[in-house]
Amino acid sequence: MKLRAAAVSFLNARPLTAGLEGSERIELVLAEPSACAAMLERGEVDLALLPVAALAGKPWEVVPGLAIGADGAVQTVVLAGDEPPETWEEVFLDTASRTSQVLAQLVLSGRGARPRYTRLPASEGLARATGPRGALVIGDRAFDVRKKVVLDLGREWTQLTRLPMVFALWAARPGALCPEDVAELARAAQAGLGMRTELAQAFAREHGGEAERYRRYLTQRIRYGLGPYEIAGLEAFLARAAEAGLLPATALRFADDVVHTRRIRRQVSLDAALQKGADGERLDADEAELLDEKAPLLELGLAADMRRRALHPEGVVTYIVSRNVNYTNVCTTACSFCAFYRPRGHGDAYVLDRSQMARKIEETISLGGIELLLQGGLHPDLAVEWYEDLFRWVKSNYPSINLHALSPEEIWHIARTSQISLEETIDRLVASGLDSIPGGGAEVLDDEVRRRIAPLKCSTDEWIAVMRAAHLKGLKSTATLMFGVGEEARHRVNHFLRLRELQDETRGFTAFICWTFQPEHTRLAPSDNSAHAYLRTNALARLVLDNVPNFQASWVTMGGGVAQASLHMGCNDFGSVMIEENVVSAAGTTFQMDSLEVERHIRDAGFTPARRNMRYQLVGQAA
Amino acid sequence: MLSNLAHRALERDGLGAIRDRVLAGERLTEDEALALYEAKDLAALGALANHVREARHGDLTFYNRNVHLNPTNVCVASCKFCSFARPDDKHASEGYTMSLDQAVEHVVSKRALGITEVHIVSGLHPDLPWDYYLETIRRIRQAWPELHIKGYTAVELHFFAEKFGKTYEQVLRELIGAGLTTIPGGGAEIFASRVRRKICDDKATADQWLEVHRTAHRLGLKSNATMLYGHIESLAERVDHMARLRALQDETGGFQVFIPLAFHPEHNMIGKAFPKPTGYDGLRTYAVSRLFLDNFDHIKAYWISLGERLAQSSLSFGVDDVDGTVLEERIYHMAGATTPQALSEAQLHRMIRFAGRVPAERDSLYHLLRVHAQPAPPDAAPVPATA
Repeated sequence: MKLRAAAVSFLNARPLTAGLEGSERIELVLAEPSACAAMLERGEVDLALLPVAALAGKPWEVVPGLAIGADGAVQTVVLAGDEPPETWEEVFLDTASRTSQVLAQLVLSGRGARPRYTRLPASEGLARATGPRGALVIGDRAFDVRKKVVLDLGREWTQLTRLPMVFALWAARPGALCPEDVAELARAAQAGLGMRTELAQAFAREHGGEAERYRRYLTQRIRYGLGPYEIAGLEAFLARAAEAGLLPATALRFADDVVHTRRIRRQVSLDAALQKGADGERLDADEAELLDEKAPLLELGLAADMRRRALHPEGVVTYIVSRNVNYTNVCTTACSFCAFYRPRGHGDAYVLDRSQMARKIEETISLGGIELLLQGGLHPDLAVEWYEDLFRWVKSNYPSINLHALSPEEIWHIARTSQISLEETIDRLVASGLDSIPGGGAEVLDDEVRRRIAPLKCSTDEWIAVMRAAHLKGLKSTATLMFGVGEEARHRVNHFLRLRELQDETRGFTAFICWTFQPEHTRLAPSDNSAHAYLRTNALARLVLDNVPNFQASWVTMGGGVAQASLHMGCNDFGSVMIEENVVSAAGTTFQMDSLEVERHIRDAGFTPARRNMRYQLVGQAA
Repeated sequence: MLSNLAHRALERDGLGAIRDRVLAGERLTEDEALALYEAKDLAALGALANHVREARHGDLTFYNRNVHLNPTNVCVASCKFCSFARPDDKHASEGYTMSLDQAVEHVVSKRALGITEVHIVSGLHPDLPWDYYLETIRRIRQAWPELHIKGYTAVELHFFAEKFGKTYEQVLRELIGAGLTTIPGGGAEIFASRVRRKICDDKATADQWLEVHRTAHRLGLKSNATMLYGHIESLAERVDHMARLRALQDETGGFQVFIPLAFHPEHNMIGKAFPKPTGYDGLRTYAVSRLFLDNFDHIKAYWISLGERLAQSSLSFGVDDVDGTVLEERIYHMAGATTPQALSEAQLHRMIRFAGRVPAERDSLYHLLRVHAQPAPPDAAPVPATA
């Protein structure tokens, strides 16, 4: 049997009700406003679109997500008169709407006015609203009120409380609705909101008036959501009305308890967590996870931008000129997300020799490069001596070049292949010329994820152990995150917390950079690896990693425009002008920029470009 | 729902007064639009534009399924930003002109793909007869009666009027009679005469462009409006461009959507001097236009030009419409666009959904055809369109 739902045929109700025509779950019964509440009371309908005043003192359950409200001017609920409202001695209240009557009294008392209230039909009230008298006017006639003083009560409420006003919502008899009914109402609303132009035209045909004005009213004045912000407005209205003795006290109940529980958590902590993050207070795991799951992009972005402004107030965005040299593509880990590696003996397998290396380094220096980012696969035949020889050769031939080399994964591999300790490996590499360590291979630092996507790679603890040992020996490193590999919010948050914990201990991370998994030519299917996810995750990381000084934008994977947006959402560095990059481009992404193009992007986004070294000291001249 | 953080940021940037006017539903002045452009605070600007976008459309994000038809690239105009046009089709100069049969077949062959619109834009060909243009429309209309035919920019329509000695109204009435349903927004470029003299001196002027649209609106046609940004124009000239569109919209209400288009520099005459505008410039342009054009329902991002990543990002900066599953785009690709030439509907849905929005298929007149509130199962077959 279908549920029965009562609603008024007012213009502003139609976007919520029009989509119920032909519904197989819910039958719509049109009625006058006062009749809607009475029918619900008598059990003649299961739910009704009620003015919020009709909720007061009743056990009705509110349908989550949907309401008729306004955030600012509403146009159809006004107080009108000839003199300033503070001077009014008597106000005539339109008898048609109790919610508007209560709202009018709250607004006037907020302005310090204490008039006598008299109930009168609007036409009569308006005619008598002269001198020290005002009148409440609601509905279409409010559009055309010609009085010296017209207070829009939507706007007045928002100015008084900084919250939106909710006028009406779907309310149901306790236990009447199942989740599918709630979903049906939401579906109907989505459909109805998409037909507002047609609904306005139909209304104009039925009642006269301009369709365009109705359309603007439906699309620009009325808001149909009931989110945390609107619920705060609704609760404020009910609380103030109860306090003023205008309505009985009411606690909101929702038709869907799960939604209700979630709402309370969101309402209390989402805004609080954002503000905390923006102000540089430390976020805990719950707060970070909540932000990851729920916070809108621009909210995270605004908060992260406030952190960036606090940490880097000078408005400089740095970058480095470096070359990414992959000394070998032979690798034994066969990670499912990698398109770069080849097994030993494969036709495309290579290990760079000295002459190839020399050519690459000389090109780098001639292009103004100061750093070599040296990384490779886990080649089973290369032991620590091979790296020592290579580093000594680089440093003796090209002393100006900074060796930013070997991710933690490679360092473990060298230690195992050479059968020496981690400590000894790092000592020997540093002694032969290693300057700093890239943060690659971190992927997601959560073993649930690592076991799935890279079972042969080092564990989270092992990755952290290399970084700790390196930092304690005075090496600096970066930290990375590659996401969009099917991990969940809690895994990303675990990743951040492991990095933050180590950074508290060592202060060895100079910068954080994240990017999304690039799936072409790999075996792993991506989860959300979009630009939107990149910007959100990057901004969240800026809030959680409160002790990491610099954030790099990943234009190589995201393109220059998204990277520019990230400069306004937490990043203060544009990474490197990479003279060569092989790993990401093997998976299909090929954004390229030279120094001039990098600087144009930085300037255009409103910042001053500057070149830096790996320790984030400014060097030389900008291009 | 403008958040506390957004209020804080806007007040910090001195944009509190503009914010108050936006929240009160008041119209922004050209100076205020310029101030937003120059504020260099992308996140706060985005939050304000997003507020307006969500108040109008909630999370709905519109797209349509269309095919582009560019019957010829031979063009007598010499626009300096264009990489598409060729002076003639007689020699081996990459010029081409489709026969009527080819043009019609190009469209009709897409019948099985659920297309609801054909978008027709051409060069200004010196020799083609008036009948060619009429017949293109008439024969597509006959072959595919329910298809929306969006055809011929104001620049082309002006060219037809001059070349064939007709008034705008005559041109439009004949095309409507043949089956035309809407007019695309192209050819607007930048209205300021300083700019038009330099980049497109020999085609319809700003006033002529606007008069064509005014006439079309009077005859009951809806149309779109574009702006080509990121070449030699100033920010003030962009705002002036939008102000002229806003004024005509006040008069007629006939524009459906505003579409900022990024200048693409490759293979044309001014590209060397002017690199492609950055994504930042695009995002702020969307946001400013959403705030300034209070009488336009929709702001559209053209992913062909932006790339999928920026187009997705634009959905947080005021954009509610993405140019849909375009088949065989030529004009931007000849200017060096490296984006794919078509996105599948599933890819488009994924992009929209991952931005936290709800994909909504529309027709050419912005009627909602289908709201995709839930993700389709990954292997679901494409559903044929109903319109």
